Amino acid sequence: MTLIYAGLSIGAVYALVAIGYNIVFIASHSFNFAQAQLMMIGAFVAYAGYVTFKLPLVAVLALAMVVVAAIAALEERIAIRPVSDHQTQLITTLGFGTVLTGVAQLIWGTQPKEVRVGVEPLSVLGGRTVPIEIALVVLAIALVVAINIYTRRRMGGLALVAMSQDEEAATLRGVDVRKLAFAAFAVTGLLAGLMGAVMAPRTFAITTLGTALALKGFVALAIGGFGSMWGGLIGGFTIGLVEQLVGRYLETRLDAHLSNLSIFVVLLLVLMIKPTGLFGRVQERTV
Amino acid sequence: MLALWAAVRKVPTWVFPAVVGLVVLVLPSLQPAYEVTRQIQLTLILALVVSGLNISLGYSGQLAIGQVAMYAAGAYTAGLLSSAGHTDLLLQIAAAGLAALVVGIVTGIPGLRLGSWSLAMTSFFLVLLVPDIVELFAEETGGHLGLATIMPPTIFGQALPDDAMYYVIAVVTIIWFAVFRNVVASRHGIAFQVLKQSPVLASSVGMSVFRTKLTGYAIGAVPAGFAGALLANLDLFVTPEAFSFHMATGTLAASILGGSVSVYGAIFGASVVEFGNNQSSSFAEYALVFFGAFLLIGGVLLRGGVAGLLRTGIRRLDRAAGIWPRPAPALAAGGDPATLPPIEGGALEVKDVAKAFGGNQALRGVSLRAEPGKVTALIGPNGSGKTTLLNLICGFYRRDTGTITVAGSSIDGASPHRIARLGVARTFQTPLIPPGVSVAEVVISGRYTSDRAGFLSAVLRSPKFRRVRRRDLARAEEVLSLVGLAHLFDIEAATLPLGQRRMLEVARALAREPKVLLLDEAASGLDEAEVETLATVIRRIRDAGCAVILVEHNFGLVLSLADHIVVLARGGVLAEGSPAEIESDVRVRDEYLGIVEPGDEPTDEGSATVPERTAR
Repeated sequence: MTLIYAGLSIGAVYALVAIGYNIVFIASHSFNFAQAQLMMIGAFVAYAGYVTFKLPLVAVLALAMVVVAAIAALEERIAIRPVSDHQTQLITTLGFGTVLTGVAQLIWGTQPKEVRVGVEPLSVLGGRTVPIEIALVVLAIALVVAINIYTRRRMGGLALVAMSQDEEAATLRGVDVRKLAFAAFAVTGLLAGLMGAVMAPRTFAITTLGTALALKGFVALAIGGFGSMWGGLIGGFTIGLVEQLVGRYLETRLDAHLSNLSIFVVLLLVLMIKPTGLFGRVQERTV
Repeated sequence: MLALWAAVRKVPTWVFPAVVGLVVLVLPSLQPAYEVTRQIQLTLILALVVSGLNISLGYSGQLAIGQVAMYAAGAYTAGLLSSAGHTDLLLQIAAAGLAALVVGIVTGIPGLRLGSWSLAMTSFFLVLLVPDIVELFAEETGGHLGLATIMPPTIFGQALPDDAMYYVIAVVTIIWFAVFRNVVASRHGIAFQVLKQSPVLASSVGMSVFRTKLTGYAIGAVPAGFAGALLANLDLFVTPEAFSFHMATGTLAASILGGSVSVYGAIFGASVVEFGNNQSSSFAEYALVFFGAFLLIGGVLLRGGVAGLLRTGIRRLDRAAGIWPRPAPALAAGGDPATLPPIEGGALEVKDVAKAFGGNQALRGVSLRAEPGKVTALIGPNGSGKTTLLNLICGFYRRDTGTITVAGSSIDGASPHRIARLGVARTFQTPLIPPGVSVAEVVISGRYTSDRAGFLSAVLRSPKFRRVRRRDLARAEEVLSLVGLAHLFDIEAATLPLGQRRMLEVARALAREPKVLLLDEAASGLDEAEVETLATVIRRIRDAGCAVILVEHNFGLVLSLADHIVVLARGGVLAEGSPAEIESDVRVRDEYLGIVEPGDEPTDEGSATVPERTAR
């Protein structure tokens, strides 16, 4: 069971990345490669706030959210808005993400930074876990539920979905598309800051985190389908569990780092068998 | 000054890079410092990897960006061969190229079925996997400590002297760039750019999207393999750390900085990135920031990279010196610009075709026949099924029932590019013109599959290739004169106004002498004079023998041009006949033209009452 908890909690992290991808995808039909790097910055800010400046927990979370939201807003302005086609957007967001990684390296160096939240391990249902692991899973599920409610029941959310379906029509109905896309991006940053801060105790704050999360988060997205929140959640949990199980049972036997390979195999399987993902409402552009 | 420029431009452009290549070869005799030769060697190796990226990303427009994984595959293949005793360098280079080819094609497979993001992420993921795979086979590859059992290279059994690697690297790079340049500066380069612009366009001119993409991945992978083999033999050591994500980002940055759609831009970008890499370790900390900045700036501002800037600058100087655009080529003696040589047209027969999208029955039992040497017009209100029918004929949709034949051959289940090769050509509502190619090149792209010259003959510039090229240019002149664009032969096609781009599409469609020509709302957006020109051109095409199908909203144009009109409404054929018959058909007026005045006499037989309606 300990394995299951570990798998679910790291899976929640991947799911959080996928959620971030999904929000941006729903809002502006673009793919933000820097999503995971934004979360990484959130983790580092949490480290700075909690360990370096010894701020209280709530202040740390708030700080992470605000800082990353500001960075995300900057990214929208310089890497997404000026660029119209999607191929180039991948490159500019990759560039922005790389800059973030580079800056993080300059400020905090390349060693992992531990964010010790100092809580005792628990024993739940026969497996050992730490509260932060439970918090991650709860956060991921809560966010998905909240976002689904927002996009279905609230005007802002409906406007967002309308915008992603047909930008022109949305504009004609009075939706300020630019502002909404910008706001969506800033909110993604807010959430990324929160997610990064919460995941820091589990994953540590390391600069190499960004890329691995970006790629595995994409696998979660591919499994669940572009644009589907629940899909991203399920996808994330799936690969988290696969990673842990492979690590425990196969790696010790073959003495090699197989978890990445296993996730890659999952990615290939999904792309070959069901390219739109389990719940994909939106087909990824093929032309 | 400009006269000097004009003189310089008379020299063929390949001479300048050739001179640079010569300088590189001759450099060691000047006894430069070790750092300089090492820098050059590393730059050339990186340039090979970046050139692969330019082919798949820049020219083909595919986000197949995992070249570093192929680089690793090449390096380890060469290293393992050497460790096993096969020290022949040429063998290693060939094997490395092959290994990279396999990796490139396998990782390209997601891109064949899916879109750019999946392809990009899959190829990046592969880069992430390199250390894991190396570790998995640690016994053979030395794991993360690196492969140190590589033996010094030999060629044909002779051991290479110490400084000979420099020459080997330089020669391989020069040869590869010559091949690269010969491929992209030929009809194959245009074909890649057509694919990049739109796979739909590529299919409609007869290109198999599948094969062209695969070719792009393959050619993009091979140089990375060569680079790997060269690296392995340069340092006699291969470690997985050389193939990190950091390296992949650097390669991408080099490609974007130099200009993805360029040949020599790869060398420039590689030299900048390698220069940065070799600076002091404090610079290395800033490396990521710089790479990221290159990507950002390159993507947002410097579209086309340094090569793009250079090209614009060269064009400006050419224009100022009066040597560009070149005057329209002289017509062959005896050729009349106003007529087209005869085309063997074919009849298009649509029998009882139906198509439904979910619950929406777009076409119900439609039949029509378009004869060669005649203009058949297809008109009807929006939503009547015209576009669906067009897309069915071109193969982009599958029909539910019925048959469609072109010159007697059924197009049953054929893919769009096969149908195009059967002789069906079309234009698009919004002209699909790739950027960065000239008007003549757009027309030439239309004949890419009707007159073939393979990659090998393009690389070697064989006599067959030259013959095909002459035919390409001759046909381009011919059809461009017909549509009145001959004076724009060299102009960049994407800069033309709408009316001229429409005519250019017609010219491209004619390039391969189609049996059937489908014109999709070719007159929309044109002013009166342009519509007149279009009508004249269509008449000439008809007189040459082609079967012309005109999908139009401009009723006046249809009346003056068509030999036979088919009116579609709500998925079925409402009426068909000659222009005179259709013009006076009450049902057509009712459904499509809208105005039925109360005083009009019903001219149609059997119509009991003529309802009063206001104009729609």
